[in-house]
Amino acid sequence: MLSVKNSSDGQGGSPVDHTGKRTDEWSECLTLIAQHEDRAAFTRLFRHFAPLMKAFALSGSTLSANHADELVQEVMLKVWQKAGAFNADKAAASTWIYTIARNCRTDLYRRLQKFDTPLSAEDVSESQDSEEAFMLLHQKRSRDRIRTLIKDLPPEQAHILTKVYMAGKTHSEVAADLDLPLGTVKSRVRLALQKLEIQLER
Amino acid sequence: MNDNAVTNFHPGLDLITEFAAGSLPLAQSACVSLHINHCCHCQQTAGQLADLGANLFEAQEPVPVDDTLLHAVLARLDEEKPLEYANKKSTEKGTPAILQRLMRGDFSDLSWKNIGATLRISYLKTGDPDHEVALYHIRAGGRIPQHTHRGTEMTLVLEGGFSDANGSYHKGDFLVRQADDVHAPTALQSEDCICLAVLDAPLKFTDWKFRWMNPFLKLRTN
Repeated sequence: MLSVKNSSDGQGGSPVDHTGKRTDEWSECLTLIAQHEDRAAFTRLFRHFAPLMKAFALSGSTLSANHADELVQEVMLKVWQKAGAFNADKAAASTWIYTIARNCRTDLYRRLQKFDTPLSAEDVSESQDSEEAFMLLHQKRSRDRIRTLIKDLPPEQAHILTKVYMAGKTHSEVAADLDLPLGTVKSRVRLALQKLEIQLER
Repeated sequence: MNDNAVTNFHPGLDLITEFAAGSLPLAQSACVSLHINHCCHCQQTAGQLADLGANLFEAQEPVPVDDTLLHAVLARLDEEKPLEYANKKSTEKGTPAILQRLMRGDFSDLSWKNIGATLRISYLKTGDPDHEVALYHIRAGGRIPQHTHRGTEMTLVLEGGFSDANGSYHKGDFLVRQADDVHAPTALQSEDCICLAVLDAPLKFTDWKFRWMNPFLKLRTN
């Protein structure tokens, strides 16, 4: 289920290098968009990410297909408009794009529930402006580590993580959904994070 | 809160995970993000958890998107960009942007409700229908009447500090109290303390002098 694909789907037009470094390709696209308003690069990005965004929109399960398309449009437009703020030294392109998708989905949920709030999801989002070289290196290492280790997660742990992230449910909601005790959900998440070597840095 | 000071009390890993996955209710995520933007350690953890999210995102089974959607977006690329969001960084006065937005001004512009001689409370409107968000201002050395919680209370120290039976907390520290934890926080002697509190159920005073207030303590979400 969690086969993290490392090469393009074989369709033409994507200059994926043979080591399969997709992340670099997407960083390049974002840079091309930022510097040259490159529509071809944007189209490549769209073809790869829009279907993932649609999957992400629908796995929250409360959105209709129309709203899912609306979300894809909104996120892709934002990617175009904000590409100048992307910094490849600080974040992976996929993380940057995922974060925008996550925030837009949250805002769309809140709009649909007629929330009247002065805060957008982006306002209360994590800041990614750490400057320290040490931190950046550390972050880069952990990113590579997560990418490798995630393939070896036991299925029930991978499943829980997918529920938590893609369905955007709190641990209690996941517990109710899967008919599991809250403690079981929490401990599976904890075990998964342990395997991925994600821990509190204190 | 513009200095990245090292704090001693942090949100747990499950809270930061829910935060990174975007599933925390608005008021709680505001409180967690105020801590995270202040604490370089939690910032790092949140960064890793976002990277994890991106991996899961890319591992999804793609759902085909119609080409008309691509063309619709391409046609919109020339639209004027919306004005960039106001700078997320703190202002010169050091008040975090999230709070400024919620307060629509500064601490001094708020309307406060006095509770006893040492405590005043100002309720903030976040739009989150399930959580009360309030600023607590405790005079230096002042004590909040002993109370318990009917639900979960998150607290973030914004200015000064306070202590209770379990420890002493300073600027940037983040605490979660569950239902039935009884405590009577006391502000540090040296300066006034301002905290942000996020509640999902009203407080309940156990101190006999204040018990009369309990029936009036409703959850104020708006």
